[in-house]
Amino acid sequence: MTVINSIERGAPPARPASPKFSWAWLGLTPFFIFSLLFLLYPASILGVRSFQDTKTHAFTIKYIVQLLHDPYLLGAYGISIKISIITALGGGLFGFLLAYSAIRGGLPSFMRSSLMTFCGVASNFAGVPLAFAFIALLSPSGELTRILIKLGFNPYFHGFTLYTFWGLSLVYMYFQFPLMVLIIAPAIDGLRREWLEAAENLGASSFQYWRYVAFPILLPAILGTMILLFGNSFGAFATAQALTGGQINLVTIVIGSQLRGDVLGDPGVGYALALGMVFIMAIAIVIRTILQRQTERWLR
Amino acid sequence: MRRGNVVWSWFWMILGILYFFLPLLATFLFSLRAKLGVLSFTAYVNIFSDPNFIYNFSYSVLWALLTIIAGILILVPTAYLIRLRLPQFRTPVEFITLLPFVIPVIVYVFSLVRTFSQPPLLIVDSPVLLIAAYTVLSMPYMYSAVDTGLRAIDVRTLTEASQSLGAGWGTILFRVILPNIRAAILSGAFLSFAIVIGELILAEYLVKPAFAPYMNYMMQQKAYEPAAMAIVSFALTWACMGIIQFVGRGQQGQIAAGH
Amino acid sequence: MTHLTLTDISKQFAQTTVVQDFNLDVKSGEFVSFLGPSGCGKTTTLRMIAGFETPTTGRVMLGDVDITDKAPNQRNIGMVFQAYALFPNMTVAQNIGFGMQINKESKSAIKQRVDEMLTMIHLEQKGNSYPSQLSGGQQQRVALARALANRPKVLLLDEPLSALDAKIRVSLRAEIRAIQKKLGITAIYVTHDQEEALSISDRIVVMFEGKIEQVGTPFEIYNFPQTAFVASFVGTLNTTDAEIFNLSKKLIKIDGVQLETAEDLGGRKKGDKIKIAIRPERLNFASVEKKANVFDCTIENITFLGSVVRVQVKVGSNRFNMDTFNNPFLELPKIGAKEQITCSREAVLILNS
Repeated sequence: MTVINSIERGAPPARPASPKFSWAWLGLTPFFIFSLLFLLYPASILGVRSFQDTKTHAFTIKYIVQLLHDPYLLGAYGISIKISIITALGGGLFGFLLAYSAIRGGLPSFMRSSLMTFCGVASNFAGVPLAFAFIALLSPSGELTRILIKLGFNPYFHGFTLYTFWGLSLVYMYFQFPLMVLIIAPAIDGLRREWLEAAENLGASSFQYWRYVAFPILLPAILGTMILLFGNSFGAFATAQALTGGQINLVTIVIGSQLRGDVLGDPGVGYALALGMVFIMAIAIVIRTILQRQTERWLR
Repeated sequence: MRRGNVVWSWFWMILGILYFFLPLLATFLFSLRAKLGVLSFTAYVNIFSDPNFIYNFSYSVLWALLTIIAGILILVPTAYLIRLRLPQFRTPVEFITLLPFVIPVIVYVFSLVRTFSQPPLLIVDSPVLLIAAYTVLSMPYMYSAVDTGLRAIDVRTLTEASQSLGAGWGTILFRVILPNIRAAILSGAFLSFAIVIGELILAEYLVKPAFAPYMNYMMQQKAYEPAAMAIVSFALTWACMGIIQFVGRGQQGQIAAGH
Repeated sequence: MTHLTLTDISKQFAQTTVVQDFNLDVKSGEFVSFLGPSGCGKTTTLRMIAGFETPTTGRVMLGDVDITDKAPNQRNIGMVFQAYALFPNMTVAQNIGFGMQINKESKSAIKQRVDEMLTMIHLEQKGNSYPSQLSGGQQQRVALARALANRPKVLLLDEPLSALDAKIRVSLRAEIRAIQKKLGITAIYVTHDQEEALSISDRIVVMFEGKIEQVGTPFEIYNFPQTAFVASFVGTLNTTDAEIFNLSKKLIKIDGVQLETAEDLGGRKKGDKIKIAIRPERLNFASVEKKANVFDCTIENITFLGSVVRVQVKVGSNRFNMDTFNNPFLELPKIGAKEQITCSREAVLILNS
């Protein structure tokens, strides 16, 4: 509260201040203190311990080396990246189509707000409850499975299992596409009506409008959000854990078992794995930021 | 778009609705099967008479609300100041808010435990740490939402108008700016709420009462009660969202945690 | 090029009638303005011509083709939007060439036409720039070029200049008119700025609350307004109530002051109450020139407007504005002084409603 008081005392300049040591910097201290204490400092431990031998605390790069050579660990990255790309593309595409249909697709206007509410709530269903819901739906004794069996078709006899990579992907989509809908909605709002009318006026069909105007304009936003979805999936843990009990070797699951101190586990490896994840995510975020600047320019 | 496209719109919407509701429906149906051969609400009776469930779920709601408040208190002034006065801080601050994305929760929890188990920062057992951790986790969404909301209103003109009428910073922030970004804050609140309620690892490892760990535990013990729990939590969350939305009515076109 | 006919056009949204009884015949190559205040229905009518709204009743004919039910992308009518609506993801050249690209014309034909257009709007160097890099006036010119590149039969402009600075508005409207004349294209221009409409139109359609008030040349609209609304909306006007004094001599009385009018008082009788109007510039000091009507007044206020000096006078209980050209060598009377002012018979207009 002291911080806010000291701000109120000063006379605020009428024009935005140029970069100088104005009192405004004080206003940012709560944020910086908070992030330093609860985010940056603990996170730095991650980097430190990746290079620190678990027992001797001496500097070492052995964990990193192990990471780059162990097929089991590399495989974990492969699976995580694979599921993240698939659900980002699938969830992103479906989410986009859904959002566009609700916002500009000629549907009654209550559909939009209903969709937004559903999406806000559907994100609630990530993790344990979501895993459970899909188990209730598609497990061997699940509701939908039962109905299908009654109709004469047992998916499990045809090679389908919920507890595999593809089953997990299906479950992941459930929180991916609401996220897409929520985030892409303002971008779709940003598509000005006049662009559609101008395009029509110049002779364009709906498809041509899409191809030459709407889609290129939205593309940076769509790609950027897909990267967000990628990150979302990449870092997910609880859903996979609850659904498959740790059978599918996502990087997060592997890290979990390493850090828990399982007999064969070594926290150092866990930290190194995490560092690798951070690295991949950082690249993704950088690409996304570039795309986002582009979006802002066109859809202001 | 013209008439032909409405068909496609309905197609995607119906597909979406199906995909949304089928798992929920299945969970609901499953929750009614507690009594053999008969559809009944036995499972619900069981959980509501289970003091542990009430205890854990209420705490989760409490943590969520506190997280949302903390998030607003920390992030709204920050985003506001950056937009208004300190644009040069935008990139570093945004970067920091995106870090929780980058760091897997499981690792974050461990580093938190390690950092705060030793004096002078011995708060590993305090709920403050839990709230702080939840706030960090929801930061990407909350900040993005607030930033989008601020982008849509003319922050500079509103501030200058308030100042010329004699308003101090507290008044400007909480009586001028905040009401105008209500819708954006709501969507950030939605996601934060969702994150806290569904979050498993933090509460488990920081040993605090929460819904997700309790449900996870119950999944091992019982079959039908977890289904009822899921439905109840879903319904209650929907109710909370509804209330939040009702309170925040009147701002169109800003409802999304846009990036 | 073709001419445009609107017959019995009306438009209803839910319970509100936004346009009614709209009939207009536009000649080929004519520049017609729809003039009126916000909400008078001018933009809605324009959008019905473009095809973005469907008329509730009536037909739109282009030449002898009924286009009322045609989709907007099949009418070959160009439109310039108020907010420019340039596609932000395309360069200026790509924007201009978009219509032709849709029409599947050859790359060389497109390039040639785009260059022609760029020269016409004096932006030859900006072909590869993006709209965000141009000023408002430049963007509007590009929007114009984009609409014209497609060789439309009619050009529609929806308040194209309202988002621009005053000075640019004046120069750009002249440019638009010059281009329209050169190409001989039929144009419909929507605006709420009466000075804009007066300066560039062949004819003006004055609209109010969804109906046409008057159609005529700028000269006619300004000097012979047929309704009180047209008279007050176009230019400044002094209006007041009067009573018919002498029918044969066409004398009327306002507050005891006697004025002679040249208008036809047909159908009325002595003692009838009517509404009259006099343009400020038709009044003058009697000491400068004497016309048929001379009467006393008291000077209340004098405002210097640059080329015009506006003198506010009191005649009986009425306040009139009198505009005289600025003459630095003419001594103006003091405030409070009593003066004689004059106006011709023709200057006294009778309003119908």
